[in-house]
Amino acid sequence: MTPFETLLVGTAVLVVCALLVWPRTGLLARWRHATDRSARILIEDALKHLYDYEYRKIPPTLESLAGTLSVTGDEAVKLITRLEALRLVERRNLELCLTQGGRSYALRVIRLHRLWERYLADETNVREAEWHTEAERKEHAMTSDEANSLARKLGDPLFDPHGDPIPTATGVLPSPQGKPLTSLADNEVGGIVHLEDEPAAVYAQLVAVGLVPGMQVRMIGQSPERVVFETAGNEVILAPVVAANVSVVVLPVEKRREGPFKTLSSLAVGERGLVTELSPACRGLHRRRLMDLGIVPGTVIEAELRSPGGDPTAYRIRGATIALRKQQADLIYVSESTGTP
Amino acid sequence: MTTMNPQQCEVCPVNKDAKLIRLGLEAGKFEFVVALAGNPNVGKSTVFNSLTGLRQHTGNWPGKTVVRAEGAFSFDGKRYKLVDLPGTYSLLSTSTDEEVARDFILFGQPDVTVVVVDATRLERNLNLVLQVLEITEKAVVCLNLVDEAKRHGIVVDERALMRDLGVPVIPTAARTDQGIPALLQAIAEVATGAFVCKPKRFPIESGVLRKAISKMTAKVQLAFPSLPNPRWVALRLLEGDQRIVEAIKTGELGDLTRQTALEKSLTGKGTKEMNDEHAHAF
Amino acid sequence: MSTPMHSKPEQILTTASTLRWEIGERLHDATIESLYREASRIAGRAVILKDGKPRFSFDRTLDRLVTSRVFGFPLMFLMLAVVFWITIEGANVPSGLLANFLVDIAHPFLKETGTSLGFPWWLNGFLFDGMYLAMAWVISVMLPPMAIFFPMFTLLEDFGYLPRVAFNLDALFRRAGAHGKQALTMAMGYGCNAAAIISTRVIDSPRERLIAILTNNFALCNGRWPTQILVATIFIGALVPSHLASAASALAVVGVVLIGIFFTFLVSWGLSRTVLSGEVSTFSLELPPYRPPRIWRTLYTSVIDRTLIVLWRAVIWAIPAGAVIWLVSNIHIGGESIAEWTIGSLNPLGILIGLNGVILLAYIIAIPANEIVIPTILMLTVLVTGSAEVGGGAGVMFELDSETATAAVLHAGGWTLLTGINLMLFSLLHNPCSTTLYTIYKETGSARWTWVSALLPLAIAFIVSFFVAQIGRMAGLE
Repeated sequence: MTPFETLLVGTAVLVVCALLVWPRTGLLARWRHATDRSARILIEDALKHLYDYEYRKIPPTLESLAGTLSVTGDEAVKLITRLEALRLVERRNLELCLTQGGRSYALRVIRLHRLWERYLADETNVREAEWHTEAERKEHAMTSDEANSLARKLGDPLFDPHGDPIPTATGVLPSPQGKPLTSLADNEVGGIVHLEDEPAAVYAQLVAVGLVPGMQVRMIGQSPERVVFETAGNEVILAPVVAANVSVVVLPVEKRREGPFKTLSSLAVGERGLVTELSPACRGLHRRRLMDLGIVPGTVIEAELRSPGGDPTAYRIRGATIALRKQQADLIYVSESTGTP
Repeated sequence: MTTMNPQQCEVCPVNKDAKLIRLGLEAGKFEFVVALAGNPNVGKSTVFNSLTGLRQHTGNWPGKTVVRAEGAFSFDGKRYKLVDLPGTYSLLSTSTDEEVARDFILFGQPDVTVVVVDATRLERNLNLVLQVLEITEKAVVCLNLVDEAKRHGIVVDERALMRDLGVPVIPTAARTDQGIPALLQAIAEVATGAFVCKPKRFPIESGVLRKAISKMTAKVQLAFPSLPNPRWVALRLLEGDQRIVEAIKTGELGDLTRQTALEKSLTGKGTKEMNDEHAHAF
Repeated sequence: MSTPMHSKPEQILTTASTLRWEIGERLHDATIESLYREASRIAGRAVILKDGKPRFSFDRTLDRLVTSRVFGFPLMFLMLAVVFWITIEGANVPSGLLANFLVDIAHPFLKETGTSLGFPWWLNGFLFDGMYLAMAWVISVMLPPMAIFFPMFTLLEDFGYLPRVAFNLDALFRRAGAHGKQALTMAMGYGCNAAAIISTRVIDSPRERLIAILTNNFALCNGRWPTQILVATIFIGALVPSHLASAASALAVVGVVLIGIFFTFLVSWGLSRTVLSGEVSTFSLELPPYRPPRIWRTLYTSVIDRTLIVLWRAVIWAIPAGAVIWLVSNIHIGGESIAEWTIGSLNPLGILIGLNGVILLAYIIAIPANEIVIPTILMLTVLVTGSAEVGGGAGVMFELDSETATAAVLHAGGWTLLTGINLMLFSLLHNPCSTTLYTIYKETGSARWTWVSALLPLAIAFIVSFFVAQIGRMAGLE
C-alpha cells in the first residue's frame, strides 16, 4: 500500500470507530438505549401517567394513556389488561383507578425521576433542557436502595428542580400548590412554585427565558395573544399556553423584593455592593459554596481585581479576596453600598 | 517519618518550663484527644507542626491538608492525641471534607476541639467557630496570624471575643511558636474540666423557622436529655441530614449521650477506645 | 438505660418530616445568613483597626502588578523561564556526577564484587546489569532536577504567587471547561507527572480535577526532556548548518511543548463536553495574602514531601523494570532472545506509525520510568543490529557520551528523520509512566479513570504518529 492509501484506510477505520463508540450519540449507545424500552418501562410509564392524572384530579382514559406513551390503542388495551392482572390497576364504573399497590409503585418511580432531576440540577453540569429526558431513562434503571443513597447524598431534598414535591421513601406526597401564572391580576406579584416540564417544547421556552422556581414575577398585562410580566428586572413575554404551565403563589407585601436588580458582575473594579439575594437559579453545590464563602444577603462586596482576560474577577468578601467567574457573579444581586467589605 | 527525640525539646523556646514534649507520630495510649479544625489557609498545619514537632507540608494554598493527619504531644505529664481535620469553610454542606470534620467532632467526641482562625479575616472565620460551638461545648479558639494582622494594622481584642464566644481565645503566631504555651495551657484546662466553656449560640432570625426549630429541639431534648447540642441535632434533622437521621435510628446518638454520662463517672476510659474506632472508620 | 424511650426515635423522625414539608428548603440559607450576621456582630466588637481601615497596601499594589494586563503575562513567563533555566543549568552538573558515580564507577565495582564472590554470570547480570542499572539511571536523571525544581515551585507557592497565576490564566482554561489552577498542575507536570497528579488536590471541583489529572500527561516531564533534546539534536539539528543546530533543536523541543499544551486544551475541552459533562463542577479561587516564604523550612519539606517520595516510588518501579529488561534480552527461546522475537513481531505495527519494533518494545518494558527509555532503546538497537563495538552486552542499558556515536547507533538501526519526529511526538503523547498511573489510581480511587488516563493518551499517540508517518512518507521524508 502507498502511504496515501494507508492514510485513507486509517481515517476510515477511525471514523467508523468514533461512530460506534462515541459517548451518548454513538451507534452502540443508541442501540443500547433503544433496546431499553422493555415491558417494564411501559408498565412504569403507564402507572406514572395514571398517577399524574389522579394527582391533578382528571379522569384518565385509554386515549390519554396511548397518547402519552405513544403506543396504539390496541397496545394500550393490552397494557391495561396486563396491569389489571398484576393488580396494579382496577376499573371502577368504567374509570381507570390505581390500586394501593399501583399507587405506591407509581410513587416509587416518580421519586426516582424527581430525585434524579434534582441530582442533575444540583450536582452536575448537564443542561436544563436535558434533565427530564435523562431522568426518564434513569428512573427505570435505579433500584430503591440507590435512590435512598442518592437522597442521602443530596440531603433528602423536598422538591425537584421544577418545584414538584419529591415523594418520600415511605410514599408521602403533599398536594399541589399554586395557581397558573395567567391568573395573576395586573400588577400583582407572585412567586414561582412550579414549572411544568411536559410537553418538552413548552418547557424549553420556559428554560429559554430563564424562569426558575423561587423567582418573583410581577404581572404587567395579558391579552389572548401574549402574557407580559417582569422578573428580576427583565420584561418577559410568553404565549398564554406557555405561561399557563407556570404555577405561582401570590406574595404578600412583606415578602416581596423590590428592585433594582443589579448583578455583582456589573460592579466596576473598586465599586462596592450590598448583597440582596442569590438568584434561585444558583442552586445545589454552587449555592452552598458561595454561601460558605460568606456571600449571603447583607454582605458588602468590593470588586478588587479583574483578570487580564476580563473574567474572572476577584472580590473582597468578608476580609478575603476570592475570584468568581462572571457566570457566578451574574447570579448574585446587589444594591449600592458604602459599607466596608 | 520524623519522630523527634523528646530530649531535644527541652531546649525549644516554647518549652521553658519543660512541660511540652512533642511526640511526633508516636502511637500508644492517650488521656485526651484533641481535634484541630479551621478554615483553609489559616495556618492550621503550622499549629499542628508546632504542637507535635512533625513537618507536615504547609503551602499558602486554600485546602492543602486533604487527608486527616494525626500526631501526638505530651503536656504537663498528660498525653494528647492531635487530629488535624481537613480545612473547611463550613460544616453544613455535603462535601467529603466537611463530613469528615463534622463526623469527627460529633461522633469522635474529642476532649477539646481547637478552632484555628485567621486574625486578619476574623469575621469569615467566625462562621466556622460558631458552627463548631453549636456541636461541641469543649472548644478553644486559636487566634492565629496575629503578627500578620498587626502588620496590616488589625488588632483583635481577644477578651471581647472570649466574652462573646464563651470559650478560651488564645492569640498565636504559630510560625514563630508565639502563644503556643498559652494555647497548650488552655487545651489542658478545657480537657481536664478546669475551665468550663459556656459557648454562645447564634440566634436564628426568621419567625416561621424559629418556631419549627424550637419545636424540634424540644423533641430531641426530651428523647436525649444529656445531649450537649439538641438544637444542632434539630437543625440537621430539619435540613434532612441523613447521617444524623441514621444516628438516631441506630441509636448511635443515644450511645453518645450515654458515653458522656459514663465519662463523668468513670473518668472517660471507655470513650478512648471508641474514639480510636471512629478514627479508623474514615 | 434508655429502654423507656425506645419509641422516641421514630417519633422524632416523623415530627422532623412533617415540619420539613411546612418550612420547605429555606432553612439552609437562613442558618448561614444568621451565622454570618452573628459572626459580623462579634467581629465588629472584637476587631480594632489602627487607622480606621486595614492596610493591605503592599498586597494590593503587588496584586495590581502581577494581574495587570500589561505586566501579568510577561511576569508569569519570565518567572517560569527562570525556574526552568535554573533547573536545567543547575541539574546538569550533579546529574553528570551522579551518573558518573553510579554508572561508571559503582556499576563495574559491583559486578567485580559479584564475580569475586563467585556469583554465576546470570545472577551478576540480573542483579547489577538489570535491577541496579535501571535504578541508577532513574536516580541520576531524576533526582537533581526534582531537588531543584520542586523547592523553587514550593517557594512561589508559599509566597502566594501561584494562585495569581491561576487567576490570570483562568479565562483560557474556562473555555476548555477546565479550572485556572490546572495551569499550576501543568507547570508541576513539567517537573514530574506523578507529583503533579498529587498537586491536583488544590482543584476543589471534582470535574475540573479529573480533567487536570487526565491531561497532565501532555506536560512533558523531567524524564522525557532528555529524550526530546537528544532526538532533536540528532535528527532536527542535523537538518540545518551546524552553527544553527542547537537553536533549531531547541526550537523543535519548544514546538513539542506547545503541541503538548495544544493537546491539553483540546482533550480538556473534549472531556468536559462528553464523558465528564455529568460530573460536579464549581469554581472558586481564593487569593490568599502574600506571606514571606521561609526558605529553609521549604527546602526541607519539599525535598521530603515531594522529591524523595516521588523518587522512592520511581525507584520501586524501576528495579523490576530493569530485571525484565535484562531477562527479555537474555532468555533465549529457539535461538532467539525474547526481546528479538518481540521486536520482530512489533515491527510491522511500529513501521505503520513511523516508529519501529525496538521503540515500541522499549516503551512497553520501560513503562515504569521514562528515564530508561533511551538507554533501553540503545541497548535493544545494538542487540538487534548486532554491532558489538558499543554497549555492555545483552540487557545492559547504556548511554553514549557523544551525540555522534548515539546517532551512528540509531542510523545503523534504520532510523530516519521521520522516526525521530515520530519518537518525539510519541514520547510526548503516550501513556503516563506506571508511577504516575499508580498515583492516579491512589488519587481518584477508580480503576476506570486510571484506565482512561492510560488508554486515552496512548490512542492519541498512535493516531497522531500514524497520520504524521503517512503524511511524512507522502512528503518524501523517508
